[in-house]
Amino acid sequence: MELFNENSKLASVILKDHSLLPVINRLGIKLGFGDKTICNICMEKGIDLNFFVETINVFHYEAYFPEKRLLDFSVSMVIEYLIKTHQYYKDFLIPENDRLIELFLSASPDQNTENELVRKFYAKFKEEFVIHINFEEREMFPYILELNRVIENPMSGELFKQKYPEYSISGFEKEHSAMDDKMDDLKNIIIKYLPPNYDQNRGNAFLANLFLFEKDLKNHSRIEDHILIPKVKQLELVLQSHE
Amino acid sequence: MNNSPNKSIVLISQSDMLLFGLSEILKSSLAGEIIQLHRGDEIIDYPELSGHFLVIANAEELEKSKLLIRHVLPAEGSVQFLPLNIEPIPSPASTSLNIYDSHALICYKVNEILNSFVVPQNKEADTELTRREIEVLRLLTKGYSNKEIADQLFVSTHTVITHRKNISEKTGIKSASGLTMYAILKKIIDVSDINAEDLI
Repeated sequence: MELFNENSKLASVILKDHSLLPVINRLGIKLGFGDKTICNICMEKGIDLNFFVETINVFHYEAYFPEKRLLDFSVSMVIEYLIKTHQYYKDFLIPENDRLIELFLSASPDQNTENELVRKFYAKFKEEFVIHINFEEREMFPYILELNRVIENPMSGELFKQKYPEYSISGFEKEHSAMDDKMDDLKNIIIKYLPPNYDQNRGNAFLANLFLFEKDLKNHSRIEDHILIPKVKQLELVLQSHE
Repeated sequence: MNNSPNKSIVLISQSDMLLFGLSEILKSSLAGEIIQLHRGDEIIDYPELSGHFLVIANAEELEKSKLLIRHVLPAEGSVQFLPLNIEPIPSPASTSLNIYDSHALICYKVNEILNSFVVPQNKEADTELTRREIEVLRLLTKGYSNKEIADQLFVSTHTVITHRKNISEKTGIKSASGLTMYAILKKIIDVSDINAEDLI
């Protein structure tokens, strides 16, 4: 296994693992970069080189997760990345899933209850998912960013403590596992149990998109649970020690 | 071949070179998942482990982490430890690995141990739900809690939880709404029996 590094040509990185396409988009890069290396491109676009390299490696190699090094990145950088990921889910992956599931379920001429149930199950999963990311964006991330600001500028500490008397991330943490379970269930139901009264190609297209979603989501949760949350806990301890 | 219960390998080494190299080699072994750790205590970051485990690390690390690992890994599976020698002395004994062992020898030694894990044959091959499990599933789809199901069936809540765990293992489905869908697709219940709006 060879890790990507700053001298890797971005084109060869993408040719090796096309699932990184949305990841580089999120990090601020569009296609058409010729033979430029990661280093060139990051300099041009003002992207943090280390963050870029570590993020694509973490995404590409399931076994690679250099926790210590990842903990060095700033909270705001990590959150910016996470928000862009949410954006990608909301603007693209979910609508794409919606479109593909509709295609595949409506392909069977006779409306059957089974397909109707899958549709319902998917709708429920989606609803929970959207609630989850909205909660993170509206409640959890603002809390973390404010906490970070207070650490950098202790003057504003009083106001912060009025707003968040407990100032503990544990109150915000929501289980990722419930959503992962539902996604797994949806895959299992279609693969193992749903009567195949539908166009197989369309079914495959939906599943392929679901697998893509799953991979992306797994990495997303990995960064939140192992990088963001531990960092926030560190910051909370720092604030405590100032008291 | 059935892959449950899983047989996984836990590799512990400070060296990424060793971790990645050995994982690469062990991909051709019988192991299901290969978990890579820099330190033994990182095992606590893996909350939902199940099945059997072979832990490979140097002798010192094994000494240090053995207790914790035994504690964290699930009680129903077995755990074996295989020391890894990094000295250039060949160790043909299957009781330890040596970093100079060949690809084939490493896989052979590891597979020997993985094969020795007892697999309860009939239970494993069986993915059909038992009558009792079907009863539990039926009550579950009606929205009853574990406690209520236990009361109805005159068993303990603990037994109900065990049934639910087995149901999920056999079907591959974990959420309550997923199980409801399963029950309908398998004609265990009829859609008209339940309130589909609430349950799915």
